[in-house]
Amino acid sequence: MYKNRKFNLILAVCFLIAVVSVTSSCGNKKTSKNLITSEKASKKPVNLFGPMEKSKPDAVNKARSAFDITVGMAEEKLGINVEYRTYTAENYKEKTYDDVTLDRVRNNMDDLYLLNPDTIQILGEEGELLDLSVLENSNNLREVVKIANTVDGKLVAIPQEVVVNGLFVNKDLFDKYNLELPETPEDLLECCQVFKENGYETPIGANRWWLENFVFAQAYADLYNGGNTEAEIEALNSGKSKYSDYMRQGFEYLKKLSDLGYIDAETAYTYEAIEGEGPGFLAQKTPIVMAYWGAANSETAYGKPDFELQVIGFPSKLGQMPVVSMTGYGISAEAEHLEDAIDVLDIIISDKALTDYAKTNKVISPSKNVEIECIPALKPLNDKIKENVYVLGSNAGMKVEQWGNTCLIVRDLLKGATVDECMAKFDKLQEKSLNR
Amino acid sequence: MKKWNKRRTDKEIPLLFSIILVFCILGAVVFSVAHKITMEMSASAIQNLSESLDLMKGTIEAILTKEAEFQRMVAQEVALMDKPEEFILSYDRNQTMVKISLIMSGEDKGISNTGEVFYRDGLDFSEGETVAGLLVSHSYLNYMGTWAYSMKCPVIRDNNEIAVLYVEYVYDSFDQALPDGFYNGKAMLYIMDSESKRLVLKPKGMGERDAGHLNLEDFYRANNIMEKELRAEVSDCVENGKPVLFYHDIRKKSALNYMWPVNNGTIYLIGYVPVEAIQQEGRTVNQNILIVVMVMLVAFILCCILYCFNQRQQDKTRKEREEEREIHNKRLAEALQAAQIASNSKTMFLSNMSHDIRTPMNAVLGFTALLARDAENPVKVREYTKKITASGQHLLSLINDILDVSKIESGKVVLTVEEFTLNDLVSSVDAIIRPMAKAREQNFNVEVTGIKHEYLMGDETRINQILINLLSNAVKYTPEGGNIWFRIIGLKQHSSQYEHIRIEVQDDGYGMTPEYLKTIFDAFTRAENSTTNKVQGTGLGMAITKNIVELMGGTIDVSSEVGKGTLFKVELEFRIPEGKANRLFWEQSGISRILAIAFDTDECNNIKTLMSAVGVLADTATSAEEAMHMVQDSSTGISYNMVLFDCNMQEEGCINIAKKIRDTVLDSVPLVILSDYGSDSMEEVLNMANTGIMSKPFFVSSFKEKIIEMQAEANEETAQETEEDNNLEGLHFLAAEDNEINAEILSEILSIEGASCEIVENGQFALERFASSTEEEFDAILMDVQMPVMNGYDATRAIRALKRKDAVKIPIIAMTANAFAEDERDALEAGMNIHLAKPVDVGLLKKVIKQCIQGKE
Repeated sequence: MYKNRKFNLILAVCFLIAVVSVTSSCGNKKTSKNLITSEKASKKPVNLFGPMEKSKPDAVNKARSAFDITVGMAEEKLGINVEYRTYTAENYKEKTYDDVTLDRVRNNMDDLYLLNPDTIQILGEEGELLDLSVLENSNNLREVVKIANTVDGKLVAIPQEVVVNGLFVNKDLFDKYNLELPETPEDLLECCQVFKENGYETPIGANRWWLENFVFAQAYADLYNGGNTEAEIEALNSGKSKYSDYMRQGFEYLKKLSDLGYIDAETAYTYEAIEGEGPGFLAQKTPIVMAYWGAANSETAYGKPDFELQVIGFPSKLGQMPVVSMTGYGISAEAEHLEDAIDVLDIIISDKALTDYAKTNKVISPSKNVEIECIPALKPLNDKIKENVYVLGSNAGMKVEQWGNTCLIVRDLLKGATVDECMAKFDKLQEKSLNR
Repeated sequence: MKKWNKRRTDKEIPLLFSIILVFCILGAVVFSVAHKITMEMSASAIQNLSESLDLMKGTIEAILTKEAEFQRMVAQEVALMDKPEEFILSYDRNQTMVKISLIMSGEDKGISNTGEVFYRDGLDFSEGETVAGLLVSHSYLNYMGTWAYSMKCPVIRDNNEIAVLYVEYVYDSFDQALPDGFYNGKAMLYIMDSESKRLVLKPKGMGERDAGHLNLEDFYRANNIMEKELRAEVSDCVENGKPVLFYHDIRKKSALNYMWPVNNGTIYLIGYVPVEAIQQEGRTVNQNILIVVMVMLVAFILCCILYCFNQRQQDKTRKEREEEREIHNKRLAEALQAAQIASNSKTMFLSNMSHDIRTPMNAVLGFTALLARDAENPVKVREYTKKITASGQHLLSLINDILDVSKIESGKVVLTVEEFTLNDLVSSVDAIIRPMAKAREQNFNVEVTGIKHEYLMGDETRINQILINLLSNAVKYTPEGGNIWFRIIGLKQHSSQYEHIRIEVQDDGYGMTPEYLKTIFDAFTRAENSTTNKVQGTGLGMAITKNIVELMGGTIDVSSEVGKGTLFKVELEFRIPEGKANRLFWEQSGISRILAIAFDTDECNNIKTLMSAVGVLADTATSAEEAMHMVQDSSTGISYNMVLFDCNMQEEGCINIAKKIRDTVLDSVPLVILSDYGSDSMEEVLNMANTGIMSKPFFVSSFKEKIIEMQAEANEETAQETEEDNNLEGLHFLAAEDNEINAEILSEILSIEGASCEIVENGQFALERFASSTEEEFDAILMDVQMPVMNGYDATRAIRALKRKDAVKIPIIAMTANAFAEDERDALEAGMNIHLAKPVDVGLLKKVIKQCIQGKE
C-alpha cells in the first residue's frame, strides 16, 4: 500500500513537471511590437583577389584552408569581412591570372592581392603597390624573402610561405628500374632514356608554367651558390654580363628534353599547372613532374599518391637544386580599404598566423621565428634549403623580371622558337631594362 | 492456477495486438501528416524560392532597362553635340558604366573615354540579344580585369544615324542590387553568361570558394552533378531560356538547384539552396509533431505501466487473499479434525470414564448390598468395607485427575514454591514406587549423580506428582521381573543461582508405537492393546505431567520402542535457596571436615561437592588402605569430625572394612555407613559403637538427619514416642452442612468418636446458632462452603465479626468438596482455621480438630 502511494506520488510529480514544462515552453516573451528582433551587424569589407583552382567535388584544399585559418584570425580580431574575388583562366587562350591581376591592380578593383613574382616586379616598378615595410611583422621576415620582394627599395609583397619548387619523382619506379635519383642534367637524361625504353612515352610531365625551373636551376646554380651573388647581379643589372649567357644552357637542355621526347612540348604548352600533367603522374604513367612544395601536402595535388613520393631539387652541375620563388600578398597603393587591408596583412604574416599556416601546410615559413618539421617526401628538398643550397626563381633585385619573362620565353621555345631566338628575347628585355 | 494463467494469457494476446494495431495506425497517421506537411512546406518553399528568384530577375532586368534607357539618353545628348568625341573623352567612369566608346558612321574605329582607340570588332553582338531594344554583347573580361558586357545604341540626328554609342557595363554593379545571401545566407547565387556559360558574378566570402566558380561545367563538377539526363535537360532549358529547378545533393546534402533566366535568357541566375534551409519550418513542425507523439507515447507507456502495476497489485492482493483463504480453510479443516479428534477422544474418555467410574461404583454398590445382607457377620462386614473403601479411593483418584487436567488447562494452577530437598523427594517417591515395583517383582534402581545442591526451591508436591506419574506408568507398563531406573542427574548450570537437573525414568517394558508417541501427551489418550488393556487409568496422567513440567519452565521428552522399553527425560531448573541455615547446623555441630571413603570416584566427587555446598570439607579415599593411612597419618595434623563409608555390598569384606575403620578411628568420631539396602543385613554394623547406617543415595539432608539421630542416641535421650490421644470424647461441634447424607455421616463419625454435633442447613443458620450460643458451648465449627442462603466463607466472616470473645478464637474447619489450593486459600482468608477436602478422612479430621482445640487452649 505504501509503495503504491509512493508510485502515485512520483507519477503526479512527473505529470506536474510535464505540465509546467509545456506551459512554459508555450509562453512568449514579448517586449516589443517590432517583429525584427535582431539586425545583422554590417562588417567592413576588405576585398582580396586571388587565383582559384578548378574545383573537385568534395575535395578539401588544405593549402587554402591554412590561408583561411589566418584570414579567420584577422577577421575575428579586426571585426571585418575578407571578401574573396577570384579568377582562373578557362583555357590558355584566355587572359592569365597575372594579366587580370595587373588590370585589377591598375584599376583599383580590390584591396589585397595574391601576386606572382612577375606581377610583383611589374606592379612594384609601376608604384601600384604599397610599401609593406610599415607592417610591424615585416621585421620578422627572413632576409632572402625581403630581397626577393623589394623593388626600388620598397617591400611590395610578403609571402606566407617560401615556395620551393622541385622535381616530384615516383621513387617506386626509379627503384623498379634501379635508377638513382638524378643529380645532374645528364643523370636525368639517362633516367628518362631508361623510362622511355621501358614504355613511358613522356617521362617528364610538364605544364605551361613550371618548366622554367629547369632553366633557373642550371642558369643560376653558380650565381646563387658561388659566393659572388651580389656582384654578378650587379653585372647583370649594369649590362656587363648578359642574362642570355646564363639562360642558354637551360634552354638548350629543355630543347634537348623536348627533342628526345622526354617532355611533350605541344601538350605542355596547353596544360595548366597540375591539372594537365597531374593525373598521369598519380596514375604512375609519368615518373617525373615538377611542382611547388605545398603540392606534396595537398590532397588536391599530390598529397595522397599510391606510391612512394620523393621531392628533389632540379638537376644542375652543382647537384640537386631547389628553385625558390615567392608568391606574395601585396596591397594596392590606392586601395579603397587601405588601413583595414594593412591590418589584415599584418595579422596574417604574424608569427602566430605563420606558425599555424606552416603547421597546416608543412611549408617553409618566411618568418625567421617559425620552424616546423616537414613530411618525409620533402626531406631531400628541405635538407638542401637548410644547407642554403638553392636558386631564386624570382628576384626583384634583378632589373629584368625573371619568373614571368622566363616563363613566357619558355613557352616560345615550346611553340617552336629556337634557343637563339629565345636568347635574343632575353637580350631585348635586358636592353629595355637598361634603358628604363 | 495454470488454467487461470492461460485464460489471462488468452486475454492479453488480443489486447497486445490491439495496442500494436493502435500504434501502427497512429504511426501511419503521424507519418502521413508529417509527410503531407513536408510536401506542402516544400511546395511552399519552392514557390517562395521562385518568387525570390523572380524578384531578383525583375531587379536585374530593371537595371538593364534603366541602363539601356540611360544609354539612349546619352546617345540623344551626343547627337546634339557638335563634337561628340570631346563628350566621350570627358566622361569619367562610374560603378556601372565603366567605359563609353563612340564610332562615327562609316568608320571602323572610334574613341573611348579612356583615350584608347575603340574597334568595333572587339565586341561580339552576333547573338542579337537586346535590352529595351538595344543590342547586348557577349560577356567578356574587360580592361579592369572583371566581367563586363556592352550595349550599343545608334546616335540619331535628324533621323540619320551619325554614330554608334557603345557603353560597357560591369556585372559587379548587380552585386549591390542582389541580396547578400538569402535563406539565411545558406543559398548560393551566381550570375552566368548564357552564351559562354561563364560565371560572371560569384558569391564572396571564405566558404563560397568551395563551390565551382569558373563556368557551368565547373559548377557541375564542383557539385558532382554528373547525371547525363539531368544535365541534358538543364542544358535544353538553358538553351531555350527556360527556368530550371531540380533536387540534387550538394556537398552530400540534399539541395534545390536553380537556373533562372534573366532578360530572356541572356544571363542566368544559378545556384542552390540546401533543402534543410528550405524546409526549416517544415522540419520544425515535424519535430514538434514528433515531440507531441513522443510525449503521448511516454504518457501511454506510463499509463500502461500504471495499469500493469495496478493489475500486479490486484493479482498480488488476490493471491494473498487466496492464500489467506487456503490457510483459513486449512486451519478450519485442522480445527474440525481436532474437534472431531477431541470429540472422539472425549467420547472415548466418557466411555472410559463411564467404564472406570462404573466399575468401582459397581463395587461400592455391590458390596453395600452385600454389606446390608451380611451386616451381622463382622468378618464379611470388614472385608466388604475394606473393598468399598478401596473402590472409593480409586473413584476419588479418578475424579482428582479429571479435575487436575481441567484446572491445568484452564490455567488455574499456581505453583507453590517452597524449599525442599531432593532427599525428601527421592525418599517419598521411593517409598511409594518401590513397594509397587516389588509387588510386580521389578527391580527399581535409583541413581543420583552430579547434584551440586540438594536444597532447592520448587513445588515439591507437583514434582512428586510428575515423578509418581512417570514411575507408576513405568511400573504399570513393565511386565513382572522387569527393570525400572530412576535417575536424577545434575547438569551444567546455566546460572549459578539455579540447579539444572535432568530426571530420567527408564524401563524395559512394553514400549510404545511411534503413532502413540505422537499423542502420548494429549489428554484423554491411553495406550491400549491386548497386553495393556488390563491397565486401569484415566489417560490423563501424561497430559498432566507435561503441563506441570511446562508450567515449571521445563521440558519433557520421550523415546520408546515397542518391546524394548521407554525413556522419559524431564529437564528442570530450580532456584538454589540461601544456604545459611544449612551451614549453621554443620558449624554448630562442630563438623568442618570429614573423610569420605568410596570405591567409586564419581561417588567421592558427588559427596565432596554436596558437602562443600554446606561448608564442610570432605577428603576422599577410594580404598580402605588409603583411608587407613589418612586416618592414621598424624603428621598431617588433620583430624576428621566424621567418617562416611560408602559400603558397596557387592564388594567383598565391606563389613570387615567398616569394622576396621571403626577400630582405627576414635570412638568419639561418628562413622556413617552408606548402604544400598538400608540397615537390612547390617546388624553387625549396628552393634559397633557410634556407628549409623543410612540409605543411598547420599544426600546432605539425610546425612544431617542421621547425625542428629546419632547425636541423640549418644546423649542417651531416648525419644519416648507418646501416642497421641486423638480421642474427641466430650467435644461439641456446630456443623453447617446442607447435604443431609453428608450431615448424617459426619454426625455418625463424631458420635463414634464420642463427640456430639449440631447440624444446621446453611451458613446463615450457623451464624445465628453460634450467635445465640453460650460461650464455649461449641468446641469448633465444621463449615461446609457451598451452601444455600449463605455460603461457608460469608458465614465464617460473619462469625468472626461477631462481638463476642470466642468469635475470634473458635476453630472453624472447612469441610468442602472444593479441594483446590485456591479453595484452601479462600477458606483461610475468610477466617477459617483449617481446610479439609471431602471425602473426609476420619483420622485426619480427628487430628486436625485436636490440633485446633489445643491451639485454642
